[in-house]
Amino acid sequence: MATEPKKVGAPEEDPVAEPEKAVPPPATRPTDYFKVADVVLRVLVFSSALVSVVVMSTSKQTEMVPIPVPPYQALRPAKFNHSPALIYFVAALSVAGFFSIITTLGSLYSLTKPAGCSAKIISHFIVIDVLLLGIVASATGAAASVAYIGLKGNTHVRWGKVCSMYGKFCRYLGASIGVSLFASVMLVLLVLLSVYSLSKKIPK
Amino acid sequence: METESNMNGGVGKEVGVANKQSIRWREFGLRFLAFVLTLVAAIVLGVSKQNELVPVQLVPTLPPINVPASAKWLHMSAFVYFVVVNAIACAYAVMSLVLSLSNRGRTNGLSLTVTLLDLIVVALLYSGVGAAAAIGLIGYKGNSHVRWNKVCNVFVKFCGQVAAAIAISLVGSILFLLLVLFALLNLHKSRHH
Repeated sequence: MATEPKKVGAPEEDPVAEPEKAVPPPATRPTDYFKVADVVLRVLVFSSALVSVVVMSTSKQTEMVPIPVPPYQALRPAKFNHSPALIYFVAALSVAGFFSIITTLGSLYSLTKPAGCSAKIISHFIVIDVLLLGIVASATGAAASVAYIGLKGNTHVRWGKVCSMYGKFCRYLGASIGVSLFASVMLVLLVLLSVYSLSKKIPK
Repeated sequence: METESNMNGGVGKEVGVANKQSIRWREFGLRFLAFVLTLVAAIVLGVSKQNELVPVQLVPTLPPINVPASAKWLHMSAFVYFVVVNAIACAYAVMSLVLSLSNRGRTNGLSLTVTLLDLIVVALLYSGVGAAAAIGLIGYKGNSHVRWNKVCNVFVKFCGQVAAAIAISLVGSILFLLLVLFALLNLHKSRHH
């Protein structure tokens, strides 16, 4: 819900930025495209992290499930905070969303100041991006492995499947994990873009 | 050869060539360590197997029957993913070692490709570590909400091997992360000189 204005806001950056950069000589234009792409990717990372946190934390489902003791049926909720892996997932993606807000603001600032005064800040941003990639990838792996056990079960250790009872919960989990996978792909592209734009600037 | 280059790196901070040499040897060392660690992690989890007798109570009035059960990495899809990812990282470490040695520390398309592949390996390794750790945690603690019982009170040795493999692979993935960071900082430095 809240991400919609952000997503609409991202393409709007381009027309605002382009006419400003069209005035200086064309030698500096490729770096400007890099900066615009940088901002767009960061906004995408932020919005996908936000979406996956919101979807994961609204995934509560209460169902009648069979239980071993006498009434033999009871209302039992399925929530994400029943599993430590899913708690880690929500915490990690919240951290990723928070830091991507900060880096989006910083990179917008360096877009409006063409002097490139914040080169040191940008290099710190790249370090943050690489660390965020590690965090988001590990959270995605952890949540996906737990969700896979929930979907298929495991006969060797007699862990029963959960998704046959909690259909909506599992769909939300799957959607959230998919969106966070998208966020980690965007982070890889973001770091790659920074590496490429840095290596373009090296004087031969 | 190695001591010579270390001496060069230690003495010639100002000399660009010697500095580049030390950067190359640092990268070489990191890649070699990452290769060893991911190989060890894959092997430690790959050879883990434990057979135990598990008491199973079929009828409440009768005494429990001992049933032989085995714990293997192949039984759990997250562990299979972990071993495969570590094997990929190990093979890639050898490949990138050869590539970066033949590249002689220059910055060109090849070094950019190596950095991109490094990044992908970082993402794969971290997701593998996360997956194996999440499953290992359920095995260690169990989950009462969905009635997944703990396994580590029976398969103690197996759980120890899983924990060791996860720790070793975590160190290996941190080394890959450092490789990416060093490549970025080198690019940043050479941009300003």
